[in-house]
Order: sequence, then structure tokens, then C-alpha cells
Amino acid sequence: MNKHDTKELSQFLLETGALLMSSGANTNRIRITTLRIANAYGHSAELLIMHRALMLTLNSENDDNFYSSIKKTLPHGANFRIVSGISKLSWQIAEEKLALNKAVEELNRLQGLPHYPRILILIFVALAGASFCRLFGGGPIEMSVAFTATFIGLFVRQEAIKKKFNSYLCVFFGAFTSSLIAGLTVKLNIGDHPDLAFATSVLYLIPGIPLINSLTDLLDGNIMNGIVRGVNGLILAFAIALGLLGAIIIYNIG
Amino acid sequence: MDLFAFFEKWIWLGFAAVGFAMLFNVPKRTLITIFILGAIGGAVKLLTIQYEGNIVIGSFFGAVVVGFLSVWVAHIKHAPPFVFAIPAVIPMVPGAFSYKMMLGIIKLTSNTDETLFIKILNDTISNGLKAFFILLLLAVGVSAPMILTRRESAKDIKVKLQLTHEKSIKK
Repeated sequence: MNKHDTKELSQFLLETGALLMSSGANTNRIRITTLRIANAYGHSAELLIMHRALMLTLNSENDDNFYSSIKKTLPHGANFRIVSGISKLSWQIAEEKLALNKAVEELNRLQGLPHYPRILILIFVALAGASFCRLFGGGPIEMSVAFTATFIGLFVRQEAIKKKFNSYLCVFFGAFTSSLIAGLTVKLNIGDHPDLAFATSVLYLIPGIPLINSLTDLLDGNIMNGIVRGVNGLILAFAIALGLLGAIIIYNIG
Repeated sequence: MDLFAFFEKWIWLGFAAVGFAMLFNVPKRTLITIFILGAIGGAVKLLTIQYEGNIVIGSFFGAVVVGFLSVWVAHIKHAPPFVFAIPAVIPMVPGAFSYKMMLGIIKLTSNTDETLFIKILNDTISNGLKAFFILLLLAVGVSAPMILTRRESAKDIKVKLQLTHEKSIKK
């Protein structure tokens, strides 16, 4: 491989790693997948993985040249379609010796894959909120309150993300909207257990992926990344609590 | 336990998992599997709590079951196991405990009454510890197949079904 190819390969590897990082893969998976691709193309690689940036050093097996570069990761937002696609792609490269330009094309295709229709996401997440409410023991009235609160809260959060607000602020807006809606039923005492709808209306915001990845990273020995993800998850939980507190103070409940 | 109420819960557990799966944009072909995995994991947790276990142990058993099943279905559906496992255990993530802990911390800052302060402190610490240990055990449970088999990738864990499948292709 000549110098040009090495540069292209390193860009591809960093792109893959950065995509995995922002799509919600844990640190170990990023390292294994990236190194698997590098080895398949006959290079040995070392990777430094941080939350906001990746650093890669490539060493071709038949000469003494090293190639290093750094890439910052994109804003985080879980997207398992990309993680699943990249995992498949890495195996195609390792087992079927897919050419680099084909692999780059495939990566670009993966990035262009569509999300679910927005209305479908809203309905299903709201349904999940209603399900939580049912599991905690709510009846039909509480469930429909949780459904509405989740639906509108998620809508507000999506709009806030579109307007490029700070990500913690987006969660705060979502939590505040949801708890304002669900809190109204607590204030007016609608249904048997209005507090259940109030408690479950913000559950769609819980930072599940940052928190689980935090613990898996800690268990894998990637302590730094584990701590960073954990702190991120805690601040998100703090944003949810602030939103709830806003509604509690306004309605003077709880 | 009322059997009807138990199986009704499966539906809600499944929908809770699928809602998060949609939020995480999982591939379409995995949605039904996630529904089933989420329902089974949640049911194991509920059963454990029913039979004198606490919520921490229950979440752990649920996550272990989901972890092993996810490796098995990963071979059938051709997607990495964690695409199935994470959305399926997300409903078990102690969301209520963690925001209650945060709410408690915020309340502590504005409280000067000593007896009330100690009561809130108790609740806050109890919620926080529960949240932490449930999360820890969820992570251990989901990665249990990897830890126990000492493999780096689920592809190396040979599942019987896959072997027979490969043979049929070779024929």
C-alpha cells in the first residue's frame, strides 16, 4: 500500500470509529471493530478513544512509516441502524476482502439511511410511556395522561434539538413540558392515581444508553470513558429533575 | 399470581422496549425480536420480585436472560447482540430512581429543618444506591455471555443453530 492509501484508510477508520461513538456503541466495540478493519487491510493500528475525539496511529506491516491523525466525534444521538450496519461491514471487509473504495461507499450509504417516520416514533414512544404507567399500576385515565404528556414532551424535545439548543437544555424542555401536562392532572386530581402519570411521563428521557455504556466501559477497564459517560448521564438525569421541579413549584404539588 | 394480569404485563413490557428501540432507530427486522426479549426480560424481573427477590437481583436475572437470548437471536437475525439487548433492558434502567435521587439532592439544598433533612437524605441515598447497583448489574448481565465465554465478538460464540445453517448452505 502506498502513502495515499494509508491516508485514505486512516480517514475511513476514524470515520467509522467516530460514527460508532456518536451512535451509542461502547468503547470496547469501537476498538474491536476499528482494529478488525485495519488488520483486514494489512495494517496494525493503535487507537485512543475519547468521548469527543478519536486518535489513530497506523503502521503498515511492510515498512516503518507511521501515520497519525485525530478526528472529533459528531454530537451524540443513538442510532443502532448505523452500529448494526458498521458491524456487518467490518465482517464483510475481514472475511470477503471488500475493497476500500467499496467500503467507503457502503459507509456513506449507512449514514444516509432514514430514521423512522417522526409521527411513528412519537406514537410508539408515547405508547412506551403509557406502558410504563400501566406497569406501575395506572389505569386507563393515567395511561392516556402519560401518553399525551410523553407525546408532546418528545415533540418539544425534537424541536429543541432541531433548533440546536444545548443537549441538556433539550432534555430540560422535554421534562418540563411533560411534567407540566401530567402535573395538571395531579393539581386537578383527575383519576385514581394521578401521581403515577406524573412520575412516568418523563421516563422516555432517561439516559439509558449513556448510563449502560458507562457501566460496560467501567467493567471493560475503560475507566476514563466510563466516568465521562456516567457524568454525562448524571447531568441528563439532573436536567430531568430540574424540569420536574419546575412543574412541582408552579403547581405547588409533591 | 393472576395469570391473566401476568401475561397482560408482557404486552406493556414489550411496548416499553419497542418504544425505546424506535427512538434508537434500530433496523426494522429486529423490532419484533426486541418486543419479545423486552417482555421476557421484564417478566423474569417481575417473577423474581414476586418470589422474595428484590428489584436489584430481579433486574440482574432479567438482564442475564436477555443477554444470552440476544447472542442466540443475533446469529439468526444477523445483527450484533447489543442491538437487541440494549433496547430490551432499557425499560429496566432505574430511571425513576435516578431522577428521584437528583430531585432529592436539589431539595436538600433548600432545606433547613433537621428532621426533614435527614428523611430526604435517607430517601436520596437509598434511591441513588439502588440506581447505581441496578445499572451495574444490568451491564454485567448484558455482557455476561461475553465475559463467561471470554470471546471478543459474539460471532465467535458458536451457536448450534448457526452450524446447522452453515452445513445446509455448503450442501
